[in-house]
Amino acid sequence: MGKPEDGALTDGALTERAGGGATAGGQSETLARHVLSLADTKRLLGIRYSDWLLGSPSIETGIAASSMAQDEWGHARLLYSMLKRFGFDPFQMEHERPASRYCSAPALDAPFADWAEFVAAVVVVDGALEVALASLADGNFALARSRVPKMLAEETYHRQFGAAWFRRLADGGGEGADRLEAAVRAFLPSTLAWLVPEDAAYESLAADGAVRPGSRVLGCFNDRVGGVLGAVGLSPLAVEPAREAWDAERRRGPGAPAEEAVERARGDRNRALFVE
Amino acid sequence: MSAGTRRTALDEGVYEVFARKSRGEPLRHVGCVDAPGEELARVYAWKTYDEEKWFEMCVVPRAAVIPVNRQDGPWGSRKTGR
Repeated sequence: MGKPEDGALTDGALTERAGGGATAGGQSETLARHVLSLADTKRLLGIRYSDWLLGSPSIETGIAASSMAQDEWGHARLLYSMLKRFGFDPFQMEHERPASRYCSAPALDAPFADWAEFVAAVVVVDGALEVALASLADGNFALARSRVPKMLAEETYHRQFGAAWFRRLADGGGEGADRLEAAVRAFLPSTLAWLVPEDAAYESLAADGAVRPGSRVLGCFNDRVGGVLGAVGLSPLAVEPAREAWDAERRRGPGAPAEEAVERARGDRNRALFVE
Repeated sequence: MSAGTRRTALDEGVYEVFARKSRGEPLRHVGCVDAPGEELARVYAWKTYDEEKWFEMCVVPRAAVIPVNRQDGPWGSRKTGR
């Protein structure tokens, strides 16, 4: 079974295994790309959460950030492992790809500049991930239907954390609220494009029943975060997704996560300790 | 905020955390967290005391605990601090 040398998902590299529950034919590669974009985004979100284990506003907040980081990494691991069902090597996907091949949401390319960006990302990016996972769990990919519900249950606490902190900063007014609004304005356009790609690949997945149609996903996202974002006067439905220079292969806009974050995501410094 | 007897720079209160591992087991006190309100108290408690697979966990504002026979413990006389 062919596997690309550099860890990229290239055309024809994936072969669906019998009984996987994935959609048929070339759709298996499209679905694999979709799962990979979820896995990479979870992996990078975990990195960004982990940056705040120390230095967050309170000890309890740091512990929560640590726990959420671990949740994200656990979810990423499960998602990478699903790629086996398409004939792909999860180890290669987790540990051997360059930053330029990552399919993570662009909002996570750089570290969060301040606590307001952390909170905005919990609501916007983590919220988008939750909606995307719910969409996948609702589709016809059997592995996702069985494994994703536990992830969604753990996400409940991320949602509560994000909503409570968001309201706290927004209600406090002043610089905190201003920074929060700026962070949401920065994250929303690229995250909306990542969540609801307007491309043939996503439309074919939706038509095949692997994921919900884009309009429904957008509606779910608005239900999920619209009320919270309203605290700074913003709505996901009023923001134009950033679709310029869309990279269909990586299912995201231009750019890539910072190399330092990808080194951590791949575990470069622990490579000698990897045990199979 | 009604929870706290102890205030921090973040205007947080203390919440006592109780949990049990199975339905038939009594709730036991497992610790406390500082939080600005009930919503974050629930999250902080669940994320801080996650060493067990709890069947049930509750948080109680320290200020809501009414001491019966002692006034010198952390819950006595609605004391401040831990």
